[in-house]
Amino acid sequence: MAQGKEGDKVREEFLAEAQELIETLSRDLLLLDESQRRGQRSAETLNDLFRGVHTLKGLSGMFGFERLGRLSHLLEDLLENLRLGRIDLSQPVLDVLFEGVEGFARLLAEAGETGEPTKVDIDGFADRMRTLARVKAPTHNVLEDFELDPNMLGVLTEYEEHRLRTSLEEGFSVFRLRVRLALDVIDTALDQLKERVKAIAEILTYLPSMDGTGGDAIEIEMLLATRKTESELRSALGRPDAALSLVLRRASGAPRTSIKAPSQAPQRRLKSSAPVPAASSALQRTAEAGPGSDHSLRSLTSVVRVDIRKLDNLMNVVGELGTVRAALGRFVEKLRTGVDQTLWNEAHRIQRAFSRHLSEVQEGVLDIRMVPLAQLFDKVAVIVRQVAREQKKEVRLLITGADTEVDKLIAEELADPMMHIVRNAIDHGVEIPDARTGVGKPNVATLAINAYQKGNHVVIELSDDGRGIDTALIREAAVRKGILTEHAASDLSRDELLGVVFLPGFSTATTVTELSGRGVGMDVVKTNITRLGGAVELDSEVGVGTKVTITLPITLAIISALLFEVRGRLLAIPLAVVQEALRMPRDAVRTVEGREVLTLRGTTLPLCRLGEHFGFSEPGEAAPRDLYVVVISVGNKRLGLCVDRLSGQQDIVIKGLGRSLSQVHGVSGATDLGDQRLVLVLDAASIIEEVLLGRSSPLALGGLQ
Amino acid sequence: MSGDRLASVAPGVLRGSSRVEQAGVREFLAFMVGSECYALPLSCVREIMRVPPIAEVPRAPADVLGIISVRGKVTTLLDLRKKLDVQGTPIGGRTRVLLVDQGEETMGLLCDRVLQVHRLGEDEVELASVLGNETSSYVMGIGRPGQRKAQGPKSGSKREARQAAANAHDILILLDPIALLKRQSHA
Repeated sequence: MAQGKEGDKVREEFLAEAQELIETLSRDLLLLDESQRRGQRSAETLNDLFRGVHTLKGLSGMFGFERLGRLSHLLEDLLENLRLGRIDLSQPVLDVLFEGVEGFARLLAEAGETGEPTKVDIDGFADRMRTLARVKAPTHNVLEDFELDPNMLGVLTEYEEHRLRTSLEEGFSVFRLRVRLALDVIDTALDQLKERVKAIAEILTYLPSMDGTGGDAIEIEMLLATRKTESELRSALGRPDAALSLVLRRASGAPRTSIKAPSQAPQRRLKSSAPVPAASSALQRTAEAGPGSDHSLRSLTSVVRVDIRKLDNLMNVVGELGTVRAALGRFVEKLRTGVDQTLWNEAHRIQRAFSRHLSEVQEGVLDIRMVPLAQLFDKVAVIVRQVAREQKKEVRLLITGADTEVDKLIAEELADPMMHIVRNAIDHGVEIPDARTGVGKPNVATLAINAYQKGNHVVIELSDDGRGIDTALIREAAVRKGILTEHAASDLSRDELLGVVFLPGFSTATTVTELSGRGVGMDVVKTNITRLGGAVELDSEVGVGTKVTITLPITLAIISALLFEVRGRLLAIPLAVVQEALRMPRDAVRTVEGREVLTLRGTTLPLCRLGEHFGFSEPGEAAPRDLYVVVISVGNKRLGLCVDRLSGQQDIVIKGLGRSLSQVHGVSGATDLGDQRLVLVLDAASIIEEVLLGRSSPLALGGLQ
Repeated sequence: MSGDRLASVAPGVLRGSSRVEQAGVREFLAFMVGSECYALPLSCVREIMRVPPIAEVPRAPADVLGIISVRGKVTTLLDLRKKLDVQGTPIGGRTRVLLVDQGEETMGLLCDRVLQVHRLGEDEVELASVLGNETSSYVMGIGRPGQRKAQGPKSGSKREARQAAANAHDILILLDPIALLKRQSHA
């Protein structure tokens, strides 16, 4: 049994690591896509991808994830061919790469479920790859046009030769650099030199020179590709002793040195990290290390992966310590009169210090939970590309504020709504390129995602410059679907009509195509975001575009709440949903069609008597003469909660109810006020939904039994 | 101890597989609910605590009394009286909460009074099947601690008093913690 647990742990480690690798892969892939579009060089990105897939392959093999391993192997082959220039980087190839990385994600998800049969069709994928991977016929060998030392060419690896050839073909200047480095400092000196060179040029290869070695120094020879001039290169090197010479084009008609087939050439290279005993043996050492081997043993970052539940536990303990702090404060206060002044001062000082450090710990724990939105945006970028390709639309994604941080849990929960919005924007908002040019817009549409922090909230704006939503069509559809009466619909303002998109039942596929707007599952988007204590708004102008604004709390862990009493029970509700709290005489309540309402500044506010709503038994004491009404709002809906007494505002840590109570409607959790007393935290969204729409899940009323 | 293993074994095993028979003696915590005497495998009881303030949860299942805070953790408190359909006494000085750890969630069980720990040999346990098919699924057997010497947690006169109380109810209804804590899913 112990072994099984150990196995689970190892498996989890693998899953987490693989997940991270795959995220990096998709990020690199997007980079590759970008540089391909712009016609930039992408050798480094290709190498990163290759290394990533290679590592994934190794991991999968080690942990026995056979299908993951197979897919990695296929992708590795493809990437190898790309790296070596055997095939060209084209859109179809990129598509296959994206498909492969998506396949990884799916396989991984399935691996997480333990033993579920997977639906990823690796064989089909392999076939598609095979048709792509038709290796180019060798073209004219550009290497023969240049004055290159055949001895040097002989020892280039296939990859190095490919890079050299590409650089020459693309018109880069190739320089030959020779420099003598003292043997005792060769490691650091070489690293330093490489750093400097990399800033302005690509290092095609570096080798200990064939001659010029001896004594306590070794001569290193490098081939560099750059667009800089010789003097620029020289000054960047900072080594006046280095010999630099441009590799010149052969005079035409000059005799050509025939070049050995490179793949048969011995692959020799000097590893910077290895000590160099003597020049000759260094030369003879074969490169047993493939790409990526430099990275495989050591982690690249100092990041620690932590299960979020561990942080939750820590948060709990910190919450408990808060209770201790309060008790300590009360105790010290009691001491004030009892003990002599110096003792009390000492106790007071200690208590203050404890209090301060505890606050720091609390902030620290919250901070650990924060992740940059970039993690989420990377996933969005993949979707954008994919949907745009599917729809044959041109979309440029513009992301700003990706370093804005939110609670990990929020970032996770946000993924689905974001995908939905983005998909809608491209599916229904963005026009096909021809249509865009027709109305005088640039043929490439722009989808802008902008995130920023605003007080204790994070705002994410997603705007497109597509065709926008026609409110007249919303009105028509809402009436036809029976969501609004003709009369009610005609009274709605533009904003209110846009809000209709979020109503359940409005957004169905047929409506959307007729609307040519968006709206698929926008009610789901809204529900998800409201559940996080956030809000979502929609603004749109026909022909100009649509903007969705999501506002979220930065963290779920600690929120400000309003506390109140209902029939002797203390309850809390997040302050974020509270508009105001009023005191009203009981006779101000009116009844409209059997529903109690209040007239508030000329508008009608529906009321909900919480005590009855929740079926709390009446306490002995008579209800207070006046009525307290807590006005809550979620999105564009408002509701007044009738409570007996307001009990102030407090920062609380919301804790979830156990699984046994997960289906209870109207309650999102509980909080410990410090005296072991638990207070229920109400779920504003579900209460509003239940009261105003008369909807509740059947489970909510009947309970579980 | 053999009891430690019981927490993680399936109820079927407890109902008399060879493994349990080999284990021989097992420990049970006996407690009262109403006038009946019940017992749970000691290994699944994490803690016995006094009744903390209970927060009522509206529309919770009928056997849920509410939630309590156990060192900051929100814990569901089940009402054994409702669950076992017996008349209980109001919460008083002897009422206790048993924190029972079984499966995915630790839950509190409210009982009227905790008695003692019994070590039961296999000859002291009858399987639930002796009661016929009408027994509730929570009952896994009947314990008859008469045959062996009971080992109370305390010694001296207090122990004897407990012993006497236990003897008055010398039939223990052995509960199956897994079945007891299992929530019906309505999915």
